[in-house]
Amino acid sequence: MSGFENLYILSLYLSHNYTEYLGTTPTYTEPELVMMLKGRDNQSFSYLYNNYSGALYTIVLQIIPDQELANDVLQEVFINIWRKIDSYDQSKGRLFTWMLNIARNASIDFLRSKAYQNSKKNQEFPEGSESISGQSTHMNTDNIGLKKIVQKLKVESRTLIDLAYFKGYTHEEIAEIEEIPLGTVKTRIRTALIQLREHLK
Amino acid sequence: MNIKEYISSGIVESYVLGLADATERAEFESMCAEHAEVKAARDNFEVLLEQQAFMNVIHPSKELEKKILAEIEIESYKSSSRVIPFGNSRMDDDSKTISVLKRMRYIVAAAVILLVASTALNFYFYTQSKDNLALYQSEVARSNQLANSNQGLQASLDTFGLVLNDPNMTIIKMPGSNVPKGPSPNSLATVYWNRENREVYLFTNNMPVPVAGKQYQLWAIVDGKPVDAGVFNINRKVTPIKMKPIPNAQAFAITLEREGGSTTPTMDQMYVLGPVKT
Repeated sequence: MSGFENLYILSLYLSHNYTEYLGTTPTYTEPELVMMLKGRDNQSFSYLYNNYSGALYTIVLQIIPDQELANDVLQEVFINIWRKIDSYDQSKGRLFTWMLNIARNASIDFLRSKAYQNSKKNQEFPEGSESISGQSTHMNTDNIGLKKIVQKLKVESRTLIDLAYFKGYTHEEIAEIEEIPLGTVKTRIRTALIQLREHLK
Repeated sequence: MNIKEYISSGIVESYVLGLADATERAEFESMCAEHAEVKAARDNFEVLLEQQAFMNVIHPSKELEKKILAEIEIESYKSSSRVIPFGNSRMDDDSKTISVLKRMRYIVAAAVILLVASTALNFYFYTQSKDNLALYQSEVARSNQLANSNQGLQASLDTFGLVLNDPNMTIIKMPGSNVPKGPSPNSLATVYWNRENREVYLFTNNMPVPVAGKQYQLWAIVDGKPVDAGVFNINRKVTPIKMKPIPNAQAFAITLEREGGSTTPTMDQMYVLGPVKT
């Protein structure tokens, strides 16, 4: 079975190289792309980068607004995708969802790392002033991506999603910060997510 | 729990966005496997999220693209050249080793399939080559046999041509009817006699097969006396039998004698007789 899988990758590789030779840009279905990535095909990685880097960079920027730092994180995200592609299981969700979670996790890990906390202190700007700090490498990401949708929610929901999704705090941590019971945190986050979904439609 | 309630509880969004805890994730995954509606709701939200994520995107710089693609080149080189991990065993190293092992699994599976196929083909070709060798050997034997018999045939044809082409040949027809009260009036033999070089050739056109222990003998009749021209066996071929040379003769005759021939012919066993026409 595995042998045939490799043959399948090879045939895809050959057929798509051929279409490229004819001067048309190849397009892969998601299962095809996954197959080729799992076969460690460098060309499929270029394709992945071309198609997904924008969306993933936007996610990273929503968590790490500093462009230079976000660049480093994006690089880590793609290396992680490349290294972990074998662990991606299609039955558990779409490829983009999987990559989105890698991007979010890498960004939050970085956000909460000592290196980042130190760099923030050295900037000598009070928290929350990024967007008006005048540093050209800082992006205002409130009006892009998922954050734009979150802006439409009620303040209470917005705060909870910001803490849970964009800052990566656990429910316990949020209960402490917001001084509300853990059970209430869970319920309110769920409610906020349902509202978010309504706005996505 | 009611499926519809479960779906609208916010678990779908929580799971997809990576906010669900381990217990919730495990439960959701088994619900997805069991209930198509749950999986459909998940797919639906994933597509919504993906579509939204591709709206108004900020693209990374070209420099970053070059840097990342170069990094991946190095990664793919590292993972393809490194099989045995060394040094510390951090999470990344472990997962890389596992991915290498996983890839090895594919390679090994492919290799096993190729090996099996190759062995089968080897056996097939070996059997075929053995058959072919046997066939070849029997063909060589047959070909040698044919060459031998062809050589023999060629030699006798050469003789035949020589005999027929020689203008000095005298042809003596010897019918059985020439022998008064002979044992075989229907028999016929022909002598080709070269008066110049004395060579005698015999065609046994129609002679009965002699009984065991008996052999035909050709005689030349010289001045009324029989001269032995040699014994012979019946030759069914068109080629002539070369007999003993005869310098002079008025007639030729064949008698049936004991095997090996006699010094004088047994007259009542004369089968054919033919006078030499001058």
